[in-house]
Amino acid sequence: MSSFEKVGDGYSLDLTLDEAHILINLVEQLLELLGEGDFFHHYDSSDPLAQLLAMPSEIVTPDDPVLLRLLPNAYADPEAASDFRRYTEPQLRGAKQKNLRIVREELTILVDENHGGVIEGLNADIWLKALNDLRIALSVRLEISDDSFDKFELLPDEDPQKPVYAVYFWLGWLQENLLGLLT
Amino acid sequence: MAKTLTKEEVNISELLDKPWITIVWDDPVNLMSYVTHVFIKLFGFSKERAHELMMQVHNEGRAVVSTGSREEMERDVQRLHEHGLWATLQRDDKI
Repeated sequence: MSSFEKVGDGYSLDLTLDEAHILINLVEQLLELLGEGDFFHHYDSSDPLAQLLAMPSEIVTPDDPVLLRLLPNAYADPEAASDFRRYTEPQLRGAKQKNLRIVREELTILVDENHGGVIEGLNADIWLKALNDLRIALSVRLEISDDSFDKFELLPDEDPQKPVYAVYFWLGWLQENLLGLLT
Repeated sequence: MAKTLTKEEVNISELLDKPWITIVWDDPVNLMSYVTHVFIKLFGFSKERAHELMMQVHNEGRAVVSTGSREEMERDVQRLHEHGLWATLQRDDKI
């Protein structure tokens, strides 16, 4: 079974090709949802003027429930939440995209060479955050609640949600596995 | 009977600024071990304190994880959001 291992100062992950495909597909879907290739690449620029000019005029509360959970309101008060979002959301979105891009790049090695294997030199912090964001995204789509485990275990195998839940459960297992290796 | 505050006194109390708090809310997704890890990483809590706060979030639905100025709490909320935890800030109304 796929698992992380601690190697020196870094971490490695052993994946089958199927697992690498599942992960990279999820990462790409989430990057797309977060708006990769949109205006957000401007924020990687270190030029403060470029950042200012790239600031979109309208940053509004996301309609998509996945985005709203990943980029939540910081205040209960809608006006304060909206003000805060205007100034901070690009940075938050950018941080999440950056983690996912790194994970994607590391997975690409396996996917491009078309075989399973061990990816080395992984940053635990980045992987923990990326795995967590992927789990959050799936959880919103699956409408995960505290009693979901029993609910999904009882679903018939042909239910289309069953494999998605299996992936959600697997990502949680991977994240727990990596957390267990941290000192 | 408490005397009515003058405008100057109200302004002074605003200047003193009631502390703000950062609240982490329970959700059914984040792993208990991950939440504890994030609390230790972001706030430098001991393992015991981080575990205690995580259990408070889990059992009571929310926990105050930091107190300070509005700017400091905004920074904490942003860092918690970067880690996927559901956090908000507000004035501490108890004081």
